[in-house]
Amino acid sequence: MSIEALVQVLIGGILLGGLYALVAFGLSLIYGVVRILNFSHGTLLAVAGVAASLLYAAFKLHPVVIMLVLVPALFVFGYFFYTVLLQPLEKRNHFESTVGTVLVTVGALLILSDLTAKLAGATQRNIPLRFEAIEIGEIVISTTQIWIFGAIAVLTVAMQVFLRRTWFGRAIRAVTQDPVGARICGVNSSRMKAATFAFGSSIVAIAAVLYTMSFPVDPYMGFGLTVKAFTIIILGGIGNLVGALLAGIFLGVAEGLTGFFWKSEWAPALSVILLLGILVVFPKGLGRSR
Amino acid sequence: MRSLRYPLLGALAVAAAAYAGVASAKLGSCNDPILLGTTISETGPFSTLADKWRKLTEVFAEEVNRTGGIQVKACNKKVPIKFVIYDDQSVPATAVSLYEKMATVDKVDFFVGPDWSSMGGPVPPIGEKHKIPMVAANIATPALYDRGLKYFWGTPFPVVPRWSERYFDMLSKVNPKPQSIFFVTHDNPVMKGITGFWSKKAEAQGIKVVGNETFSPDLKDFTAMISKIRASKADIVYISSFDGASVPLVQQMRQLKVKAMDVHHVMLTGSLARQVGKDIEGMTGELAWYPGIKGDYSDLVETVMKKADVSMFDYIWTLGRLSSYLVMMQAIEKAGAIDREKVKEALYKGTFKSPAGDIVFDERGFPDNGAFTVQMQGGKVQVVWPQNVATGKLVWPSPTWQ
Repeated sequence: MSIEALVQVLIGGILLGGLYALVAFGLSLIYGVVRILNFSHGTLLAVAGVAASLLYAAFKLHPVVIMLVLVPALFVFGYFFYTVLLQPLEKRNHFESTVGTVLVTVGALLILSDLTAKLAGATQRNIPLRFEAIEIGEIVISTTQIWIFGAIAVLTVAMQVFLRRTWFGRAIRAVTQDPVGARICGVNSSRMKAATFAFGSSIVAIAAVLYTMSFPVDPYMGFGLTVKAFTIIILGGIGNLVGALLAGIFLGVAEGLTGFFWKSEWAPALSVILLLGILVVFPKGLGRSR
Repeated sequence: MRSLRYPLLGALAVAAAAYAGVASAKLGSCNDPILLGTTISETGPFSTLADKWRKLTEVFAEEVNRTGGIQVKACNKKVPIKFVIYDDQSVPATAVSLYEKMATVDKVDFFVGPDWSSMGGPVPPIGEKHKIPMVAANIATPALYDRGLKYFWGTPFPVVPRWSERYFDMLSKVNPKPQSIFFVTHDNPVMKGITGFWSKKAEAQGIKVVGNETFSPDLKDFTAMISKIRASKADIVYISSFDGASVPLVQQMRQLKVKAMDVHHVMLTGSLARQVGKDIEGMTGELAWYPGIKGDYSDLVETVMKKADVSMFDYIWTLGRLSSYLVMMQAIEKAGAIDREKVKEALYKGTFKSPAGDIVFDERGFPDNGAFTVQMQGGKVQVVWPQNVATGKLVWPSPTWQ
């Protein structure tokens, strides 16, 4: 195989990994603060992606405008999803609470998928917005994907600044690192958890629009994305956004190289294999939580 | 209580005997419509392929009955048909119980349908158990016909050994002639079967197979595979995949500027066209039949599809479904009686007419149905091969992939 083909695969892997990382950001924040493994996280992206595609098809809205519509919608959804369905489980004992959150989030995954399929159909949808590609010799780079990756990089930096410089961000980090200490310092833990769940859900809206510009989405694809996001946050560290970005790129490139040097049919399974491998060899994860 | 027991049991026995008498008198009667029992996947995962078929089936019965129905020699007249239709919800277990119900409660004369290979395993034994001939529709897996069933036939369009027959015939006659081919296969038994069969045919025809890649339906990023396709410089890219799974593949092939004489898709459908938009332009594919191609019953089929608002491009399995009705109709006519055993004899190794040509059953009840080669031209589907039935002229090599 030529070096150009390999470079093409690496570029594709980096762009794909950036999208994976964006999916993982919200899940990472939610787990870091609320300590809930939200199995419906990827499905929320799939549903938001379908909604973004429908908005684009119906009104030809610019992707940024679609984000402006979906971000507050998912913030509100996330807030009520947590306060109505998940927060009451905190009053139960540890076992019941853990089993309860798994049942609620898996149940939400199934209901959201079926409801979306019923309302919008089960076929794949995307935002068919395409800019001219750049060709350097045999290498073709999609400018759409360059814009998307640029947006992901800017968003990573902006969120990192937000988490370090704002009161809300510091409160999130405080609750992540020491929930008791944060409460002593006046941080309302339960309100902060609800706000973080809502914030993590709203990031999904941005990820959904960018993802749908690159790849088709369907109501039933969410769980696979959730598994990839789990892999990324274990690789990159809970609450560590830059770590998540690097881990996402690692996963995207690894999938690309698997398809290139071996067989494409094995690429989607790679995240599960990596996840199992890391959990067996490094049970405490690779990344450092911040 | 004891005094009531015997009179009650007696009354029930009389009622049951009377019901059984009525039911058995009705079977094969010349004075009642011929009852055809079927299930359709109106809900569930297969519903996107079949959700308009209830209306299609009802319109079919109306059109046949408009001329009196089916000519039955033993009745010395035409007998109208009537469908008993249930929704199998795309679930094999539901279909099994519904066919059992149609055999014992509705007491249908014959079965037509169901569709899909997943139903083809458990449903046909119901027909076997009750000795009711069943002409299933889109059950394409050949192994399902190898079970020694004596009351089971199928009308899938096309079957694997004839799927791309006309396309490869076309490749042998076009100029410039393709020298190499790259197979891209959806990880699914039917699609793998198509690739397995046609990659051997390609080699036999002197077209070198320069790549053979399989992809999982979950794969979204095809960059690695497309890099291999580009590096192979294949003249033909042959995509053996269900339409939905290949949407990102087709889109990314365009984005990454794949060049070829032709990109061929074995399931070139309206759904794929809607999802990939103008990326589909110039691609070739297979279609069992298309309105405009004249053949036996083509006027009836065109009328039924028009009245039921079913497009062949959107519901590509429709010909398989309608052919199951057409075959059963012809078998009853051929048998000359509304008699299950006589109809079974008429179906065995029989030849029946359809708009796409003769349906010839082998001893297993498996047909040898083929498909026409189509090409997307100006956003519309055109039959381009064989030339004698073409609705448009083949554009070769496809300019959109240059």
